[in-house]
Amino acid sequence: MPIRRRRSIFDIIDEYFESLEERVKRSGETLIERPSWNQKTCTVEPLRDIMVTPTEIIVTVDLPYAEESTIRVKPIDKDTLEILAKMRRKIRFDDFGITHYEGEFQTFQCQTRIPVPVYMEKMEIRFKKGFLEIRLPRKHEYEISRE
Amino acid sequence: MSEEVKIIEKKETPSGAAMLFGFPDVGLVGVIAASHIISELNLTEVAYLDSRLLPPLIVLHEGLPHSPIRIFGNHDILLAVSETAISVDVIYPIMHALINWGRSKNVKIMISMSGIPVQDRRDIEKLKVFAAGSSPETLKMVQDKGIEILKEGYMVGPQAIMMQYCARTGVPAVTLLAQCFFNYPDPEAAAEILKELANITGIKVDVSKLLKKGEEIRLRARDVMRRTQRELSKMKKTQEYDIPLYVS
Repeated sequence: MPIRRRRSIFDIIDEYFESLEERVKRSGETLIERPSWNQKTCTVEPLRDIMVTPTEIIVTVDLPYAEESTIRVKPIDKDTLEILAKMRRKIRFDDFGITHYEGEFQTFQCQTRIPVPVYMEKMEIRFKKGFLEIRLPRKHEYEISRE
Repeated sequence: MSEEVKIIEKKETPSGAAMLFGFPDVGLVGVIAASHIISELNLTEVAYLDSRLLPPLIVLHEGLPHSPIRIFGNHDILLAVSETAISVDVIYPIMHALINWGRSKNVKIMISMSGIPVQDRRDIEKLKVFAAGSSPETLKMVQDKGIEILKEGYMVGPQAIMMQYCARTGVPAVTLLAQCFFNYPDPEAAAEILKELANITGIKVDVSKLLKKGEEIRLRARDVMRRTQRELSKMKKTQEYDIPLYVS
């Protein structure tokens, strides 16, 4: 049986502050207003929502016009998912009466951070009526036992 | 009328009409329903709201500036609609100004079109519509039309202010709430509202085009939904999920 080195309280505090800094950095990114579309990559960002339950994380994504066979959900790292889906038709700005921008879009693309540890490999996906549902079982890494 | 909010009339407005409200809220139900009524019944802009309380924002249509909050109408309908999410700080004066203006036009009833979020919305095939009334008489009227009453619970947003102010001033008012998504535009819920609106007022609007254009509306409404989500969060909209403590 491998011997695990016990971490000192200072290591734990350092880790905590590192993760806090990372969170602040991430929230800073999301606070900056930006368009929901990207002309360079020809992608639009879908609306999405995350629900945390005691046992799992449920991510839902609104994907109107999405072609089910093109939906890709890829874990980027241990707490980030990338979602991609092609639309059945190309959308142009002038479809919405917008003439001062040019460009057409046929792909949904977004990255979503998962707020708690999960088992990415146990991901379950369901697509119904243009809505994608991703279920990820939660990983309970730290449990405080009562002595 | 409040001095900080002005309603500027552009055309002669009818007296004794039904006044409808479609403001950004959960599922954008009211805005989607209002937009469909305007296009199907060819309503024209009869008035608009002007206020320094609003952000420095105009909406351009065909190159011309418009207020984000406008009133459309014909001979028997007045419809107030907002194309932008309304900040929680200014909802009171805006709703009071609109209702006072409606009272000056002797509107016979005020009806707010909105949604009630349900967690398992994706799995619901037949959406229910609930109603709340400003008085026992209006409540009986909607019950007689077969609409289920929202008996207990919280209501948050412009429709809450409308109900409270109309109850106080004696204007008959109804809020129609269709089961809907919280965070996603919901054209199907808007269609259900329009069916019950026809039931109450006789204002019939064909919803087949609305349902057919559902995906296009969901795509187009993403940005308004995103901004509305932020305002809903500030006004503690999730309180509508809460179970109230009954105080008699």
